[in-house]
Amino acid sequence: MADLQQLYEAVLNGDAKSAVAVTKEALAGNVDPMTLVTKFMVPAMDEVGRRFECEEYFVPELLLAARAMKGSLELIRPLLTASGAEPTGRVVIGTVKGDLHDIGKNLVGSLLEGGGFEVTDLGADVSPERFVEAIRAHNADFICLSALLTVTMPAMKNVIETLKSSGVRDQVKVLVGGAPVTREYAAQIGADGYAENASAAVHLARSLLQPAA
Amino acid sequence: MRLKLISCEIVFREMCHLLAEAEHRVDVEFLPKGLHDIGASSMRKRLQQAIDGVEAPEYDAILLGYGLCGMGLAGLVTRHIPLVVPRAHDCITLFLGSKQRYADYFADHSGVYFRTTGWLERAENMNQLQQFSIQSKSGMGMSYPELVEKYGQENADYLWEQIGDFVRNYRQLTFIEMGVEQNGRFEQQARAEAGERDWKFEKLRGDLGLLRRLVNAQWDPEDFLVVKPGEKIVVRYDDSIIAAEPAS
Repeated sequence: MADLQQLYEAVLNGDAKSAVAVTKEALAGNVDPMTLVTKFMVPAMDEVGRRFECEEYFVPELLLAARAMKGSLELIRPLLTASGAEPTGRVVIGTVKGDLHDIGKNLVGSLLEGGGFEVTDLGADVSPERFVEAIRAHNADFICLSALLTVTMPAMKNVIETLKSSGVRDQVKVLVGGAPVTREYAAQIGADGYAENASAAVHLARSLLQPAA
Repeated sequence: MRLKLISCEIVFREMCHLLAEAEHRVDVEFLPKGLHDIGASSMRKRLQQAIDGVEAPEYDAILLGYGLCGMGLAGLVTRHIPLVVPRAHDCITLFLGSKQRYADYFADHSGVYFRTTGWLERAENMNQLQQFSIQSKSGMGMSYPELVEKYGQENADYLWEQIGDFVRNYRQLTFIEMGVEQNGRFEQQARAEAGERDWKFEKLRGDLGLLRRLVNAQWDPEDFLVVKPGEKIVVRYDDSIIAAEPAS
C-alpha cells in the first residue's frame, strides 16, 4: 500500500519522480483517484502557494511543484475522465497581440494546471480572434490575458471588445495580469479579475468558479 | 530659466550633448539605468526621493528624462515647482523622437530588442540594482550554474527552459544611432550581439528632437505633460499616455 503522505511531500518538494511513482503505486492499489487529488495534491499545492505568499518559496519552487503535480495528474486524469469527472475549470491563456513575453504567462498556466484546471496555452502575440476561436473550441470558463509592456496593455481591452462582438463574453471570466497591469486597469477595461502573481491567479480562478448547479 | 533634470543614465551621452547646447541653465542628476526592474512602486519611491530632494526655490521646473517605464512614474507628486515629463511609454520614444514613430515601428517589430550607447556601455550598472530586481527577488535571476547548484541538474534543465531566457522570443536587435557616438564601435558591438543570438540586425537613425525640446523648455502639450505643484502623474490608456490630477 502506497504511503499517500509521500505524494503530498513530493508535490510540496517539487519531486516529480516521486510524485509519479507514488501515484502509480496508489492507482495500482486501487486508491480512488479523486482522493489522491483532493486529499493530497491540492492541499500540497495550497501549501506551496502559502509558502510563496510568505516568501519561503520562490518562482523555481512553484514551477517544480507544479511540474510534480502535473506528472501525477497525467496519470490520474484519464481515470477521472473515464468516471465522468470534470476538470476544475477550463482555461485559455495567452500573451496579447504585439507582446512576446511569455515567462509569467507560462508560470500562471503551470500553476493553474497544477490546481486541476485544464489549460490551453495559445503562446505569445495572440490575436483577439484566436482567443475567441479557442474559447469556442475548448468550451472555456476562463480566459487569462498577459502583457508585460504598457505599450501592449491596450490589446487586453481589444480582446474583451472582440469577445463581446463575437458573442462569447458572457461565457467566460476574463482574468488579466502582467508586470504593468493593475487592478484599476482590470476594472477599467471590464475584466472579471486581476491577480498580482501566479499563486494569486489560482486562488482568483477558484473563487470565480460558478457553484455547481 | 533654471531647470533641474532628473534622468535615467540610459540617455547619458544624449543628455550631456544636449545640455552643452541648452538654451537654459540645466542641472542634472542621473539615476541608475534599469530602475523599472525593481518594480513600479520601488522605482516610484526612488524617483519621488530625487524629486523631493530638489532645492525648489532655485529652479523653475523639474524635468524627467524618463518614459512611463512600466508604471514607474505613476503616482509621482510635485509639491513646489512644475514637473515636466515626456509622453512616452519608455525610453525608445526618447530615442526615436516621437511616440508616434515608436508606435508605428512597434506595430511592425514587436520582437525587437533595442541598443544604444547607454545599453552598450552601461550594462554593468545593472549590477548595483540586481539584488533589488523583481527577477532576483522572485528567484528568476539565477544563472544556470546557480540553478544546478541549488536544484540539481535535472530540475535546473527544466527551470532554465522555463525562466532562463527573458528574450528568447525576440528576433531582432535594432541599434539606434543617435549621432553622439564617437566612432563605429557601438554599432559593431550591437551587430556582434545580434550575430551571437542569431537575430536580424537593423540600424535606425534616432532623433534627439524630443529630448532637445525637453531641456529647451519647448513643452507642447501633445508631447509633454506639465504637472503643476500639488498634482500627481496618472496613467491614461490612450495616446496621451499620462495625465495630471490633484494629488489630494
